[in-house]
Amino acid sequence: MQSLSVIQNELSFIWWIALGLSFMLYIVLDGSDLGAGIFSLFVRDEDERGAIMASMAGTWDANETWLVVAGGIMFGSFPMVYGSAFHYLMIPLMFTLLSIIIRAVALEFRVHSDSSKRFWDWGFGLGSLSATFFAGMALGAVLKGFPLSHGVLPNYEGGDLRFLSAFSLWTGVGAVVAASLAGGLYLRARFERRCPLYEQAGNWVAANFYLALAAVVVTLIWSLFAFPWAASKWTGPDAWIWLLLGAIIVFAAVKMRLASARQQDMTAMLWLSAVVVLMWGGMMATMYPWLVPGTWTLYDGANPSNSLVAFTLAVGGFIPVMLMYNWYQFWVFRARINKLAAYAH
Amino acid sequence: MLENSLSVLLSRLDFAWITSMHILYPPLTIGLSLLLFVAEWRWVGSGEEHWYRLTRFFEKLFIINFGAGVATGVTMEMAFGILYGPFSQAAGPFFGNILGYETITAFMYEAGFVGLMIFGWGKIGKRMHLFATFNVMLSSSLSAMWILVANSWMQTPTGVTLKNGIFMVDNWVKAILNPDFLLAFPHMWIAALELALFFVAGISAWYLLKQRHVALFQRALKYALFALVVVAPLQIYLGDGLGRVVARDQPAALAALEGHYHTYNPDGSVNSGWHIVAWPNDTAGRNDFAITLPHVLSLLETHTLNGKVTGLDHFKADDRPPVLIPFYAFRLMVAIGFFLFAVALWGAYLALKGRLGSQGAQLPRTFLRVTVFSAFLPYAAVWTGWWTREIARQPWVVYGLMRTSAGVSKMSVGAEVLWLIGFIIFEMIVWGGAWYFFAKVVRKGPDMDSPVIEGGHEHLGHLEPPHEGQEQPEYPRPAY
Repeated sequence: MQSLSVIQNELSFIWWIALGLSFMLYIVLDGSDLGAGIFSLFVRDEDERGAIMASMAGTWDANETWLVVAGGIMFGSFPMVYGSAFHYLMIPLMFTLLSIIIRAVALEFRVHSDSSKRFWDWGFGLGSLSATFFAGMALGAVLKGFPLSHGVLPNYEGGDLRFLSAFSLWTGVGAVVAASLAGGLYLRARFERRCPLYEQAGNWVAANFYLALAAVVVTLIWSLFAFPWAASKWTGPDAWIWLLLGAIIVFAAVKMRLASARQQDMTAMLWLSAVVVLMWGGMMATMYPWLVPGTWTLYDGANPSNSLVAFTLAVGGFIPVMLMYNWYQFWVFRARINKLAAYAH
Repeated sequence: MLENSLSVLLSRLDFAWITSMHILYPPLTIGLSLLLFVAEWRWVGSGEEHWYRLTRFFEKLFIINFGAGVATGVTMEMAFGILYGPFSQAAGPFFGNILGYETITAFMYEAGFVGLMIFGWGKIGKRMHLFATFNVMLSSSLSAMWILVANSWMQTPTGVTLKNGIFMVDNWVKAILNPDFLLAFPHMWIAALELALFFVAGISAWYLLKQRHVALFQRALKYALFALVVVAPLQIYLGDGLGRVVARDQPAALAALEGHYHTYNPDGSVNSGWHIVAWPNDTAGRNDFAITLPHVLSLLETHTLNGKVTGLDHFKADDRPPVLIPFYAFRLMVAIGFFLFAVALWGAYLALKGRLGSQGAQLPRTFLRVTVFSAFLPYAAVWTGWWTREIARQPWVVYGLMRTSAGVSKMSVGAEVLWLIGFIIFEMIVWGGAWYFFAKVVRKGPDMDSPVIEGGHEHLGHLEPPHEGQEQPEYPRPAY
C-alpha cells in the first residue's frame, strides 16, 4: 500500500506537469492567434483582416487544441478538480466557449462569404477579445480558490457569480494585454516587412510592451498582498531564487523588445515565449502543491492510482509525438505573407 | 421530488441541446474523411484527374463541417465538468480517462493533420499529403471510438465498482469492451459512413439534375450507390444486434422505446405485441391508444414467437424512463434506415441496367430528387438514434448505478437558462452558417480550371492570392 501511494503521488505530479505544459503551450501558441484577432479589430483594410486570418489557416486549430488537451488531462487525471472548478467557473467558461465558437466558425466561413465578410470579421475580432478576457478572468478566479461542499464528492458550493472579483477582472484585462503583445509579435513575423500592416504591428508591439510590463508588476504586487500562499513562498528563505527568476524574466523581456526593434521578428517571438514559459513555471512553482489554491492540492484532486497508471501507459507517450507533428505543421506554414494572401482551399 | 426538479430538467435540456448540435458534424467528418482518402488514393494511384477534382471539391465541404465540429466539440468537453460536476468526479477514474485518451490520441492528432490536408496542397509532396489525409481519417474514427467507449459504458457499466461514491476500475478490458460498445461503435461508425455516402450521393444527384459536371458526378454517384448497397443493410443488421443488447442489458430502456408497459396480457399470456403507433401515458402506465402487431415484439427481441419481453410494469415507477420520445425517435430511425436501403437498392438496380454508366445515360429525375432528399435523412436518423439512446437510459446517468439527479451540478435555474439561451443562439448561427456555406460551395461547383497540384513545388508557407489576376502590392517580395 505504501508503494502504491508513492506511485500515486509521483504520477499525480507528472500529470500536473503535463497539465501545466498543455496550458502553457495553449497560452504561447493560441495567445498569438487571439492577440492577432484583437489586433484585427483595429485594422481598417478588409483584405488585411482576411490575410490575418489566412496566416493562421493551417495552424489555429492545432493551437486551440492544446486547450482541449489540457481539459482532457484535467478530466483524465484530476476529475475532482475538473468537476468542481468548471462548475465554479460556469459563467466565464460559458462566455469563453461562445467566443471560441464564433471565432472558429468565422475563421472557416469568412473565406466563402461575399456579403457577410464584415460580420465574420467582427466575430473573429470580438470573439478573440472576449475569449481572452474571460479565460484570463477564469484563471484569476481559480487563483482565489472556491468553497467546497462536504461529502464524498466535494463539489463547488457557492453562487454563480462568485468568480467575479476585482482581481479576476484585472487578470482578464491582463490576459488581453499579454495576448495583444503576442499577437503583434506574431503578425510581425508572418507579414512581409514592407506591408503597411508590418509597420502598424510594430507600433502595436511597442505600446503593448509597456502595458504588459505594467500589468505584470501590478499583478505581482497584488498577488503578494492578496495571496498568503504566494507571499510565504516569495518572501521565504528561498527568496533569492525568486529574485533570480525575476531577473531572468526581465532580461528575456528586454531581449524581446530589442529583437523586435531590430526587426528580428522570429527571435522576438521566441524571447516572448521564453518569458511566458518562465512566468508560467514560476506561477506553478508558487502554487505548488495547490492546483486550486486553498481548495485542491494536486494530490487530493487526482484520480486513484490504478487510473493514473492506466492513463500514463495509454497516452503518456503521445505527448512528445503531438509536439513533433505540431512542430512540423509550423514548419510547413512558416513563410511570410502579404495582404493578398487568402485561404487556398 | 429532486429527480424532476426544474434544475435537473434544465441541466438535461442544456446537455441535450449541445450534444444534439455537436453530433451534426462529426459523423460527416468521419465518413467523408474516409471517402476523401479513397478518392485521393485513387488519384495518386491512377493519376486520373477526376479523382483529384472530386477530392478538392469535397474537401471544401469537409473543412466547413470540420470547423463547426471543433467549435461545438470544445463545448462538449467543458460541459461535462460544468453541468455534470458530481458525475465527472465520480466517473473520473474511467470516463475522464477515456475522454483524456480521446483528446490526446485523437482530437490533437486530427487537428494536426487536418491543417496539412486542407492547406498543404502544393506545400508538401503528393504522398505526404495522402499520408495526412489518411491520418485525418484514422484519427477521426479513433475519436468516435473513444467517445463511444465512454458513452456505451454509461449504458452498460461493466468492469467498475462504486466505492465511496467513486467508480473504481477493476478491469479495464471489461470496462472498455463493455457489451454495448461492441455493437454501438460499429453502428455509429457505419452511420457516419452512410451519412457521408448519402451526402456525396445527394450532392452528385443535384448536379445531375442540373446537368452540371455530369461526367464527374455520375462517377461519384455510382461509387456511392454501390457502397451503399453494402452499407445500408449492414447498418440495419447492426442496429438489430444493438437492439438485442439493449433488450438483454437495459430492459427498462427497451420497454420504453417499444412502449411496452405490460410484460403479460390480462389473461396471463406473454404480451408479444409490437406497436406501430401509440400514445404512451407514463402516469397511467399504459398506452392510451395503439396499433399493435401480435408476436412481432417477441420475434424482434428474442427471435421466437412468444418469448417474454420485460415490460415497464416490472420496474419501480421512479426507475422508468419516459416513453414518448424514445418510442417515436426509435421508430423514425428504423424507418429511415429501411428507406435509405430502398434508395440504395433502387440506385443499384438502375446502375445494373446500365443507366449510371459513363455514356451519359439518363437517370429518372424522380430517382435523383429522392437521392437529394435522402442526403438529409441520415442526419435525422443520427439525431433520433441518439435521443433514443440517451433518453431511454433515464433516470440513470450511469445505467443502474448513478442517477442523473445525483450527477448534475447544483446550479441556479438562472445560470442554466442563460447557458441554454446563449448556446441556442450561437449554435444556430453555426448550423445556419454551415448549411448556407455548404449550399454556396455546391452552387459554385468544383474548380475544374486550376492546374492540378502534383507535389510540393510551391514555396513552403506560400498562400495563394484570393483572385486570379489580382495585382500584387507594389512593393517587391523580399528574397529568401
